Amino acid sequence: MSELLQVQGISKRFGALQAIELLSFSLNEGEIVGLIGPNGAGKTTAINLISGVMRPDRGRVFFGAEDVTGMSPHVLVNRGLVRTFQATTVYQDQTVRENVLRGAYAKAYPGLAKSLWRGPQGISRHDEAVIDDLLAQLGLAEMAQLTARNLPYGHQKVLGLAIALAAQPRLMMLDEPAAGLAHDEVVHIESFIRRANASGISVLVVDHNMRFISTLCQRVVVLHHGSELATGTPQEVTRDQRVIEAYLGTSHEPA
Amino acid sequence: MRPANVAVALPAPARQRALKWVLLGVLAAALLIWPLFTHDFFYTHIATLVLLYCIGGASLHLLVRMGQLSLGHAAFMGIGGYTSALLSTRLGWPFIPAFVASAIVPALVALVLGPILLRLRGVYFVMITYSFGELVRLLFNEWQSLTGGADGIFQIPPPHPFLATSREYYYFALLMAVLCVGFTGRLLSSQTGRFIDAIRESDRLAQSSGVPVLRFKVMVFVISCGLVGMQGSLMAHYIHYLSPGAFGFSESLNFLVFNVIGGMQTLAGPIIGAAFLVSLPELLRGWVELQRVLYGVILIVVMLYLPGGLVMIGRRALELLPIGKGER
Amino acid sequence: MSSNLVIPIVFNGLSLSAIYILVALGFTLVFGIMRVINFAHGEFAMMGGFALFICYVQLGLPYWLALPLVVPTVGLIGLVAERIVFRPLYGQELPAMIAGLGLSVALADGAVVVFDVHQRNIPSPFDDILTVSGFTFPEDRVIVMGIAVAALIAFWLFIQFTSIGLALRTVAQDREMAEAQGIDTSATYRITFFLATAMAGLAGALFAQIYALSPYMGLVPLVKAFTIVIIGGLGSIAGAALGGILLGMSESFLNTFYGASVAQFASFGAIMLLLILRPWGLLGRPEV
Repeated sequence: MSELLQVQGISKRFGALQAIELLSFSLNEGEIVGLIGPNGAGKTTAINLISGVMRPDRGRVFFGAEDVTGMSPHVLVNRGLVRTFQATTVYQDQTVRENVLRGAYAKAYPGLAKSLWRGPQGISRHDEAVIDDLLAQLGLAEMAQLTARNLPYGHQKVLGLAIALAAQPRLMMLDEPAAGLAHDEVVHIESFIRRANASGISVLVVDHNMRFISTLCQRVVVLHHGSELATGTPQEVTRDQRVIEAYLGTSHEPA
Repeated sequence: MRPANVAVALPAPARQRALKWVLLGVLAAALLIWPLFTHDFFYTHIATLVLLYCIGGASLHLLVRMGQLSLGHAAFMGIGGYTSALLSTRLGWPFIPAFVASAIVPALVALVLGPILLRLRGVYFVMITYSFGELVRLLFNEWQSLTGGADGIFQIPPPHPFLATSREYYYFALLMAVLCVGFTGRLLSSQTGRFIDAIRESDRLAQSSGVPVLRFKVMVFVISCGLVGMQGSLMAHYIHYLSPGAFGFSESLNFLVFNVIGGMQTLAGPIIGAAFLVSLPELLRGWVELQRVLYGVILIVVMLYLPGGLVMIGRRALELLPIGKGER
Repeated sequence: MSSNLVIPIVFNGLSLSAIYILVALGFTLVFGIMRVINFAHGEFAMMGGFALFICYVQLGLPYWLALPLVVPTVGLIGLVAERIVFRPLYGQELPAMIAGLGLSVALADGAVVVFDVHQRNIPSPFDDILTVSGFTFPEDRVIVMGIAVAALIAFWLFIQFTSIGLALRTVAQDREMAEAQGIDTSATYRITFFLATAMAGLAGALFAQIYALSPYMGLVPLVKAFTIVIIGGLGSIAGAALGGILLGMSESFLNTFYGASVAQFASFGAIMLLLILRPWGLLGRPEV
């Protein structure tokens, strides 16, 4: 297994707050790795730093052996690194299908000249088939023509996942994919993530829910005060004394 | 007994599309016979102006669809207009290369300034484009050796001796308007248009799907400014005169108002807006100030009661017609 | 630069600054508190000028009665405009902007319809020339500057030391927190608009007194307000003061040495640079 993502000593300070401090971890191809920490530990900042939304003050990020530190998010997407957002970010006023079509920019946009040449029927048959297949796999096929705004919350989360998958990433970074979901919806999301992983997509899941992370991930990195507290399998990490101390009195698990 | 009405048998979306084609056909016919139909040159003149302003209104629509509202668009029209006018009057260039230059020069300016200006959004973009527009107007006014200053440039030749009269120029303007607006429409309905809308609705989400947002915006900005530069040239060679006053805040505001009043969501919006707002002042001549008061009041009323623009009237009319429920 | 020039330039600069700050304060308040770019702001200044004209010239009221009347008159018109045009559009930045544009056109051309388009002069009630150590200052400019400064001081005292002023500052800083504290935001909006338009009206009256009065004169104060508020920061009161002084002084300087066009060019160039480098202005806060 080769290393797909390598984070080396990244740090980020916001004013007086050192949000991330010398964080290092790596992710191998095909893994599902969890990044866990209590709220405020810097999990979203970590994703922001890796995905290019913010530039780390120090440290490097390697994706597939290439130094991608500080590259813009869209450049990273083209290299196969995609992230989702904590608050559901979907195009509220568009249909489910249109949402996913927009997610496929990296693979399906033919450039200005060709798009003019093709006109309104711009997507190739092949790309359409890929999208429809993705919708079917995620159980969104029947809702394809519904407006995203009208979807129940759980389905909007799945839609967010679909948009990310439409870019056919090598590595997908999910920011609290199960937050706010009811138990059966959590199970659904878990199965979709596992299925994506089985088809070859590596996953980095960021969350504060230890049970969710433990079920899903093969390896867990515990984040505390902006740096790595412990790494290992979920079993190892949940038994780690330092982790238990850090987690005393923090997040409770939602049903 | 079954009625022989074929329309009943068609599904609703097809009926709507058929109606759209019928309307477009009627419009095309009307546009083609307009100068023959009205003997008074004045009405042909208004129609020519409307057609030319459709180009600029449509070009600003590209920016509006991207979520960038510019209050300096007329400056680019001026850059194009002056380029064409100067090349043909000072350097004796024939029309076609001068016209091509009138698209290229503003596009180049947009290419250089775009990466800087388009980092700003919302109110800040409005302010910076407004300032840019004023700077350009001052340049036009003060750089007398180049632009002739406040006096302007006279005796700009028509594109071809054949196009010196208003009726012939009308058809030329119609052709150019159809080409430019058609191009814009094609762009908006293509994959590129999909991502223009995506950028407007959520540039964060678009970027996280791989859209190079700033570069994309600059690309659209370049196209938009090139198109309005062409309007500048077409106007210069029609009126045979141009001056800095024609490219100031008032004109930039007009373009924006066409879009807002006509409707910002579809290309039909600025077309309707241009048709309505260019012809209105000409038709109400004689009460210039009163008519401008009316203009201001209309702006307020539309914003308060018809925020989707005049296009919404057409939409609701379509819904009310007995052709069944349309899609969406 | 000889001191012969410095004093008049500084004096002109300060008197311009004072009037500009009066205009810009209202503009920045309305933006800071209501998030509305009021494109009709300049027209309220213009109406202040016409109000003074009507009271002082047409009705023949004494100056010290006419001028104070301008303030509540324009303020009341402002309240009407707030009710009809802006209140239904709170929260909708763009439609409010366009509606404000419509209002500005309607007001300016309405004034043309009522008064005709020509420039008028308001005869000055103060004809003297004051001489201080060899420098001459027209009396009316001194008085105008004095009034403007007095108005600014009054505003500052109001905003700093009264409970309403505190409420305004709170809403400008953080609307949600203000509402959580029980501040009536809609009343705050009305007071803000009244103050903003009243101050603009006063500034317009003072401007009309020194320079000239015409229905289209509103564009100039609007552009100044825009410029000042970009320099100082949208929503920042201190920024408006700082911006006003910087603009007034630099205009006075540039005008004297290089002419009006260069001064204008420099203004717009400065705006563009500021927006590129520091869009929230010198004293504003970057919006998250």
